[in-house]
Amino acid sequence: MSPRRHFASFPFVVLLALSACTPPARDHRYFGSITPPQGQVFRFNNGAEPEGTDPGVISGQPDGRVARMLFEGLVTADPQTLEPRPGLAYRWESSADGLVYTYHLRPGLLWSDGTSLTSRDFLYSWTRALDPITVSRNASLLYPVRNGERFNKGELTDAAQLGLAAPDDSTFVVTLENPTAYWLFLNSYYTFLPVPRHTIEKWGVRWTRPEHIVNNGPFNLAYWKQYDRFEFIPNEKYWDRSAVKLERIIAYTVDDLNTSTNLYKAGVIDWNPSGYIPGPFIPQMQPFEDFRKGSYQGVYFYSVNVTRKPYDNAHVRRALNLAIDRLAITRDVLKGSREPWGRITPSGYPGYEGAVQVAYDPARAREELAKAGYPGGKGFPKLNILFNTSEDHRRIAETIQAMWKRDLGIQVELSNQDWGSYLQATTSLQYDVARRSWIGDYLDPNSFLQLLTTGDGNNRSGWSDPEYDALIKLAARTLDPAERFRVLQRAETMAVEAAPFLPIYHYSTIELVKPWVRGLYPTALDTHPLKAVFLDHEWQQHQPRAGGNQP
Amino acid sequence: MITFLTRRLMLMIPTLWVIATLTFFMMRLAPGGPFMSEKDIPVATKTQLLHQYGLDKPLVQQYGMFLVNAVRFDFGPSYKYPQQQVREIIAEGFKVSAELGGWALLLSLLLGVPIGIIAAVNQNRAPDHAAMALALAGVSIPNFVLGPVLVLVFSLTLYWLPPALWRGPETRILPVLALAVSYVAYIARLTRAGMLEVLRQDYIRTARAKGLSERVVVLKHALKLGILPVVSYLGPAAARIIMGSIVIEQIFAIPGLGRYLVIGATNKDYTLVLGVVLFYASFLMALNLLVDIAYTWLDPRVELR
Repeated sequence: MSPRRHFASFPFVVLLALSACTPPARDHRYFGSITPPQGQVFRFNNGAEPEGTDPGVISGQPDGRVARMLFEGLVTADPQTLEPRPGLAYRWESSADGLVYTYHLRPGLLWSDGTSLTSRDFLYSWTRALDPITVSRNASLLYPVRNGERFNKGELTDAAQLGLAAPDDSTFVVTLENPTAYWLFLNSYYTFLPVPRHTIEKWGVRWTRPEHIVNNGPFNLAYWKQYDRFEFIPNEKYWDRSAVKLERIIAYTVDDLNTSTNLYKAGVIDWNPSGYIPGPFIPQMQPFEDFRKGSYQGVYFYSVNVTRKPYDNAHVRRALNLAIDRLAITRDVLKGSREPWGRITPSGYPGYEGAVQVAYDPARAREELAKAGYPGGKGFPKLNILFNTSEDHRRIAETIQAMWKRDLGIQVELSNQDWGSYLQATTSLQYDVARRSWIGDYLDPNSFLQLLTTGDGNNRSGWSDPEYDALIKLAARTLDPAERFRVLQRAETMAVEAAPFLPIYHYSTIELVKPWVRGLYPTALDTHPLKAVFLDHEWQQHQPRAGGNQP
Repeated sequence: MITFLTRRLMLMIPTLWVIATLTFFMMRLAPGGPFMSEKDIPVATKTQLLHQYGLDKPLVQQYGMFLVNAVRFDFGPSYKYPQQQVREIIAEGFKVSAELGGWALLLSLLLGVPIGIIAAVNQNRAPDHAAMALALAGVSIPNFVLGPVLVLVFSLTLYWLPPALWRGPETRILPVLALAVSYVAYIARLTRAGMLEVLRQDYIRTARAKGLSERVVVLKHALKLGILPVVSYLGPAAARIIMGSIVIEQIFAIPGLGRYLVIGATNKDYTLVLGVVLFYASFLMALNLLVDIAYTWLDPRVELR
């Protein structure tokens, strides 16, 4: 045989060997493989490697997802509406003035190592999260607790003065600084999860490693390898063990969007969560039945640095705001994957109307710019738009650059920076106009309106208005829900008028879920309690529903 | 030999020191820090964090502490993943990268050397042209193109192999192939060049004159010298194939060491970056030393002094 023929035959040998594997079932209605895994094993991509899984310390979506599988708090979130539901507390009551919450714990609660879990564990865990030594990234969510903020900021060192008490093993009493309408929503956030004192004191920062961890939620950590995967198995000590149907959860750590979507298509994962589909592919995927789009509580906006001239002038900011054609951006640049948005708070708060949205109005924009002393853009200094390096951010910035030039006659330059430099520039107010976004932590407009209060670490625009601050404070003290929303709406209207933030679009959750997955719903915060998820192996016999997921 | 080894090992110390120092200060010059985040953290928390990691001390003192720890190869915990020691991350990541690189290198040798020999023996005939055309293609297609193409064909169209991850043997095939192709091509070209040079030499003519079979002449006499260029390439190739798998590790979501270099740099994870850089530097120097030693064994004319 000549060497050349050797050559030619090699690829065929490989192909022959490969074709021995059986290709999975497919159907044009679904994206990729529709062969479900064996048994009750749920596989998904959890995204980037979590920085940690200690609920009291972490922040970030992948981190929170792991923490919520391993731990359960007093209050849990409904898998569809995210409304507060009894967790470890089977009931609670609040005082008439809305300041004192009393939680009653279920009897016989256990940690995964068999030690009993009592209200003292909550006293320890919440105090720990507020202690500056713990370096909790989300401690501010506990600021409604009496003296919580002062304790976290180091202005008060006596933990006994915190509004937390455990009068007996099954009762936990929390006293708040102000009646906080969204307090119970906050309680289902991962920062409020209990952590085991005995394990933390023994192992220090390494207590969350699989060989040490003690937890109390629906699942135990069976395996972890960094940048590879987490594996979870049911926690036999969990109080609601019978509600857990899955035998195993495999959460892969894949930070690349293309790779994640490839894994979904090949049928290696059952769920490709929101944020892990490459933007340009979204329009092509919309027709598939396993494609799901929902409203996500987040807003993409431009923040204007009001400490710089001429952006200290509200007329200038209003002109910029009115000259953004949001519809054109979402339609042409984002291909309909996001909704145009013209106010500070997102949608999705029942009962809250919100401020009137800013609409594209080039004539009024020019008027405003003239009022500021720059008719037709004459004499207006060159404006710089700052964004962190990303193709989508660039395309939006280029579109707005063209709009402002066309409608206002002002020169705009773009500068992109790596993440670290971008954060440095925005926090230290070294920019003219910067791309930003905010995702709500809890289902209340306050999660957004709080940002613009004077001195808030996430304000980053330099905007400050005592009247606005007073309205936000007033809302915090207001007990009547309708009245409180009216106050917040007034505050929002002020902020939209003053335009330190120029809203652009409303976020959506965009995910891929295989048709056999049950109990996984799109939610406004993109959080998904996995406790009751299961796989339906007879899914093809059941009537397929568009986005349908009813068990 | 002993003096050579001692001298080389002594030279490694100042080299590593320069690399360590440059990396340390370059990381600090880059804007942002390990604890910058999109969400604001209160000042008290930030102060506490900086204190915990000794970042509130003067830079010179931090540098001194770092050097002392670097000698013991103890960089402390990663800033971004505090439940992991940098040492642990390197050990775990390197195991994976080394396996990926090892398979790829093995494949490159198993395919590249025979292809090179066949091409050399058939110089300027059809097999030679075919081999060299393939080699040219292999060298020219970057692995960040080849990887996704392989995935598209074998995972997303034919559904034969998983598109990513590092679990069973079936997950090894595509990344190893994507990583190896350019090395196969390069090794084939080096082998061909080396063999062509050797085949013209007098001692080969002598061997043939003795009546040895062509097979023995080529594989026993010529190959030993003809493969020298490949051997000298092996050191840098091993280093490159193991470190240069960053792109492949990203595309195939493989938990290798290369990714940590990129992740660490983006996160400003000072300890992680310093640990990985120093590890790579020492690894590269050790490989180069090994290659020099291998040379004396293959070519008696080379002497180490």
